[in-house]
Amino acid sequence: MAVTTDRAALNEWVACGWPEKIAPGGGYRTVLLGQEIEVHRIAANSFEAFERNDRGELGRKLPVQIKYCCIFTTLGEPTRPLPKIPEFEEPDRRITACGSVGVHTSPFRIIENFLDMAHFSFVHTDILGAPERTEVLAYKTEHRKDVDEIWAVDCQFYQPAASKASKGGQMTHYAYRVMSPFSVMLYKNVFDDPARNDAICLFVQPVGETECLAHMPLALIDRESALTSIVDFQQTIFAQDRVILENQRPALLPLDPTIELPTRADASSIAFRRWLKAKNFQFGVYEKKAA
Amino acid sequence: MAERPDRWIGVALDRQIKPGSSNPAIVGGYAIAVWRPETGPANVWEDRCPHRGMRLSFGFVRDGRLRCIYHGWGYEPGGHCAFIPAHPDLAPPKTICANVYPSEERYGIVWTNLCETPNAHLPDVGDDQGWQSIRSVYVKRPIAAVKGGVASFDWGGGRAEEIEDGVAFVRSDTAGLSLLIAIQPVDESKTGLHVVAKGDGAKDAKGRLAWATRLERLRDAIEAQS
Amino acid sequence: MALKLYDYSLSGSCYKVRLLLDFLDLEYERQPVGFYPEREHRTETFRAINPLAQIPVLEDDGIRLRDAQAILCHLANKYDKSGLWLPRQPDLFGPIMMWVMFASGELMAASAARLHDLLGYDLDIKTARRNAHFAFRILDDHLTRREIEGGTWIAGDHPTIADVACFPYTALSNDGGIGLEDYPALRNWLRSFMRLPKFDAMSGISEFA
Repeated sequence: MAVTTDRAALNEWVACGWPEKIAPGGGYRTVLLGQEIEVHRIAANSFEAFERNDRGELGRKLPVQIKYCCIFTTLGEPTRPLPKIPEFEEPDRRITACGSVGVHTSPFRIIENFLDMAHFSFVHTDILGAPERTEVLAYKTEHRKDVDEIWAVDCQFYQPAASKASKGGQMTHYAYRVMSPFSVMLYKNVFDDPARNDAICLFVQPVGETECLAHMPLALIDRESALTSIVDFQQTIFAQDRVILENQRPALLPLDPTIELPTRADASSIAFRRWLKAKNFQFGVYEKKAA
Repeated sequence: MAERPDRWIGVALDRQIKPGSSNPAIVGGYAIAVWRPETGPANVWEDRCPHRGMRLSFGFVRDGRLRCIYHGWGYEPGGHCAFIPAHPDLAPPKTICANVYPSEERYGIVWTNLCETPNAHLPDVGDDQGWQSIRSVYVKRPIAAVKGGVASFDWGGGRAEEIEDGVAFVRSDTAGLSLLIAIQPVDESKTGLHVVAKGDGAKDAKGRLAWATRLERLRDAIEAQS
Repeated sequence: MALKLYDYSLSGSCYKVRLLLDFLDLEYERQPVGFYPEREHRTETFRAINPLAQIPVLEDDGIRLRDAQAILCHLANKYDKSGLWLPRQPDLFGPIMMWVMFASGELMAASAARLHDLLGYDLDIKTARRNAHFAFRILDDHLTRREIEGGTWIAGDHPTIADVACFPYTALSNDGGIGLEDYPALRNWLRSFMRLPKFDAMSGISEFA
């Protein structure tokens, strides 16, 4: 696989693993934007990452940050820091990584699917959506220019079992936040505590243009459920989405609005595609080639 | 991907496109969805929902409509989107349409023509009545090798003759039947054969079973050649 | 509760057992096992439950069983008063067991492909997919013959544990990058299975047949 030359993609902080993936003293290899890298865990809280060539030789040392249950690195020069997600500092939360799940599609298909509510009744039936309550009420999207993030707010959807902690159906209130082209998160109201929100993050590691690893750290309010059950719930949801993600054609995300036809429920997808187009992304997007 | 010639290509046995089902197929590298409502003929569409590109072959059928599995959009047999669950009271714009290819069922086979300007006639081997499905086989060889295998195979004492491009016909008086073989190019390395038969030799399950087994042997024989 | 199942939601093998438990209307206690990323099944504690470090494991009133196929046989044998899920007639019992073992043998190539693609297992994916296609072809050829005979199910004229054992990894084939374009009889059998009363899907299988 060739390393991408798209500077827009290279200049992003990208998740490339999670701390417990490897024991202290160990290491692992992975691929980022076509570039093979090697990550070493020097000590409990100390990690290093290097580019690795075809002959197995380690090259350039890469910057590393450990945050939000992820190991982040970059192949370029990011113009913005990692996002601020204060929920991960709150002591009464259940905070966990969920491993990484491989998906054969563009990273942007994964981000868009995460933003979408209209699929809940069909893909997450009887969990995040009910077959008889499919309407997506109007919501608002914003481009918050100060942080350069796309937000969707005032989102709501009826959910039979919104989380592991839920004890019945509820009208869930969501806010979605796209922190960078490869990272997105949502806030959803906690079942029995309307003042708090669960925070569910998705950091996409683009291995190549149509191959990704999805990292999903969570910061939830849930006093009762075993951690295994919380992880199980999240993985169940994502594995349902994965079938869709791997079977969208083209895999690369079309930015031309005549290739795929949106409706009002797709407002966040429209805002996301417009944002990517303005950033001039070449990696992961579909350009219809002239005949 | 291959050119899309102006001819009818067999893509399935009609008996295997069950009422209320959507099925994937690949023709010359092009992905199609072959689906049938609860009652009525099979449809052949591009395997892609115009909303967010989800393959329609993963869809389900309800009340005569093909529903995309992603957001549940409902399409009528003509291709028009009639229902968008996210906006249940909205009449979808007429511009939202699946890409429909012409399709016909004849001789127990579902045929389609992917050409942009289709003019060809369906293959004609006479009366549509009395054709029995045998089976489809998918051979991991390019179409030229498969056609060669079909031509040299012993069809119960008869020889297959390609009566038009991609359609072979065999008559075997010894075996008491005629066979029609529709040859489907899947991609550069795979070819489908859809086989139907007419006559005494195919009129009961025992006879059809024997022929189905023979077709497995044909498939294995063609694949055994390098 | 008499029955306890060590279970992981994304495990196709555990799903074989969950399916039959539902078909037989059996209540059970579910003990979630942190298969990934915790790899709980490989811990010393779990190896005391199953030395093969695998799930599912079923505990039933003092009996502890590993291997989804063995569990299916046990459940059918002990709880199915109708005798339909595992008939004893000589012309059915042997063929059913043959396909149950096929489900734990050749068909598991599809599970390997899925573990590689989904959870990053380090294995030869080309070989896994090739072997899965080989197994699917065998099953599709058999189901094609069954269709010609007027039959819907793998053995006999009603579903049995052969169908239960073979269903999950066939239905989950796409998870491992294996499409079912070449297997029309398989697709129709999958749909028939999904339309059975008390059928429940799992991630990777649509609720809508």
